[in-house]
Amino acid sequence: MIEKQLNILNIKLSRFFVVLGLLISINSIDAAEGGPCKDYGECDEFKYSLNDMASLQRGASTFLNYCYGCHSLQYSRWGRVSTDLQIPEEIFFDNLVFDKSIKPGDLMVGSMSKEQSAQWFGVAPPDLTLVSRVRGDDWIYSYLRAYYEDASKQYGVNNLVYPGTAMPNVLMALQGNQKLVCKDVPVIAKNGGEKRDNFGNTITKEKCGYLKVDEGSGELNKEEFDSLIYDLTNFLVYVGEPAKAQRERMGWYVIFYFLIFTALSALLYREYHKDYHK
Amino acid sequence: MSEMVGKLFGWVNSRLPVSNTFERHLSKHPVPSKVNFWYLFGALASVVLIIQIVSGIWLIMPYSNTEEEAFASIEYIMRDVDYGWVIRYMHTTGASMFFAVVYLHMFRGLLYGSYQKPKELVWIFGCTIYLAMMAEGFLGYVLPYGQMSYWGAQVIISLFGAIPYIGESLELWIRGDYYISGITVSRFFALHVVALPLVLIALVFLHLVALHEVGAGNPEGVDIEEHLDDDGVPLDSVPFFPYKVLNALVGIGVFMTVFAIIMFFFPEGGGYFIEMANFEEANPLVTPEHIAPVWYYSPYYAMLRAVPDKLGGLIVMGSAVAILFVVPWLDKSKVASIRYKGIYSKVALALFGISFITLGYLGTVSVTEVRKTMSVICTVIYFAFFLLMPIYTKYEKTLEVPKRL
Repeated sequence: MIEKQLNILNIKLSRFFVVLGLLISINSIDAAEGGPCKDYGECDEFKYSLNDMASLQRGASTFLNYCYGCHSLQYSRWGRVSTDLQIPEEIFFDNLVFDKSIKPGDLMVGSMSKEQSAQWFGVAPPDLTLVSRVRGDDWIYSYLRAYYEDASKQYGVNNLVYPGTAMPNVLMALQGNQKLVCKDVPVIAKNGGEKRDNFGNTITKEKCGYLKVDEGSGELNKEEFDSLIYDLTNFLVYVGEPAKAQRERMGWYVIFYFLIFTALSALLYREYHKDYHK
Repeated sequence: MSEMVGKLFGWVNSRLPVSNTFERHLSKHPVPSKVNFWYLFGALASVVLIIQIVSGIWLIMPYSNTEEEAFASIEYIMRDVDYGWVIRYMHTTGASMFFAVVYLHMFRGLLYGSYQKPKELVWIFGCTIYLAMMAEGFLGYVLPYGQMSYWGAQVIISLFGAIPYIGESLELWIRGDYYISGITVSRFFALHVVALPLVLIALVFLHLVALHEVGAGNPEGVDIEEHLDDDGVPLDSVPFFPYKVLNALVGIGVFMTVFAIIMFFFPEGGGYFIEMANFEEANPLVTPEHIAPVWYYSPYYAMLRAVPDKLGGLIVMGSAVAILFVVPWLDKSKVASIRYKGIYSKVALALFGISFITLGYLGTVSVTEVRKTMSVICTVIYFAFFLLMPIYTKYEKTLEVPKRL
């Protein structure tokens, strides 16, 4: 009997591993394709924190000061943002809403007409309400930090994550002038270690495509700028799905409820089960 | 007071077969006393059907079925409608869960021969439900009018164009326009919320009536009707209510926990349940880089792409679903359950399962040469499983089925 069960288990396990192996092998073929962050390589990982009100507030402030001139948030309402981000309405409207005719229930439809902006930029700047859901937060966080100087482009900049992007580097004054540079990197041997010459010195070769900011050319240093982009991305995650924080909070209660439900019905089932399995 | 209620019940009962129906289909309906978890998915499917109908009704209220407002109305539901996001995620998660549960339910059928005589009609109604679900899912996916809604519909509708002679006019007739437009959205809306749900409910009703006529199966493939007690009730059976209801309740509890985990923590299902591109409004001028159907259609999409010719692909895809209907006549085995079938059946079913899952994966990723070859191999295995069934089920050594459960 036990032998039979073991046999079944064995078959099941081996079947499982065959499927697993197959999927992994297909997946490794996958890795050969370019990722969403294109020339940047792997996107930088972004971990949102929707309960960090200070971060969201700073992000909203950055967005409204630097981005909202061109990009609308047309599905989002002003009042909702101020409520969700716990910014008192008066402070919010005095400092972050520049058109005084706007009411809390209005949608954040932007201030530039699509026709005009399409003429100016070649393409109208897209609405960004859902950008975090279309592109993902990792992508935004990487994209906004991947601009570099490129004199061949219309605005003098290009982007590793989105080569040929139509958007100028609006945050350049803060970030400074970022360039693509080359640097000497250790040559990696086949066994994974660094290659060394006969004297024990590391053999290096020049590799290009690294991003480097000209020291002191921006108002913020690298850490400050990264943290600014973090807050901005965090805000875009919030705007993409304003109920997200509430959703994740509520989820625990619902799961807890169903676990109790399952436990109670299992106990009840066990009692009734005794009727026919004595 | 209780006398009054009793009188009222008597009055109704003599005009409507309430207690008769309750006894026949619930309290006295005999079901096999020993089944395993595979037998829960039917009940779970009906739970999801109810979730879909109820959440669907509430979604209709704020949804706008016009080209201009469809996409914005979904965002309105997600933002401005109180708990609109709960209702919407319930519906999107429900759609994926419906297919997950039904796929497992169908696999149970193949595992334990739930289509064998006299359950042929139960199986056929089931296959028809699956077909209706695929149509219902497709129509529903178009309604948010995102990029994937638009381009997915474009791909699927253009398939009909591959049919010789009538193809083009058929395409036009389905769309109601020369391209996918607001007219397409509003007619798909009508079909999604009225026509197909009616069809589905009717089919589910028939599926259950036919099942109750012939009796539920069990993992041993034992015919419980052969050993009856003095009252004509099968010895190896228990009344559906309360025993099986309680059993199902435990399953429903576990299932709803999983449902809640997905709905509240992973509603996009990693881009498989709600595709990322569908958060962008439909744009006829911009084709997305990579058009992939939602996961539950992807095995068939992989088959479609495995065939170089469009009409050929359509035929393969159609046959893949159509062949399910004739399974009761393909299986020539003396036994129903995989437990007593021979090694050929076991290997065949395992290969079939693996190839179906692999096809599912291949249908969601872009095509490369290697993947295309794999799709062809898996498609061949898929069809071989069915087409060779009359042979391997007939000429394999089966085990003796016990008399009692």
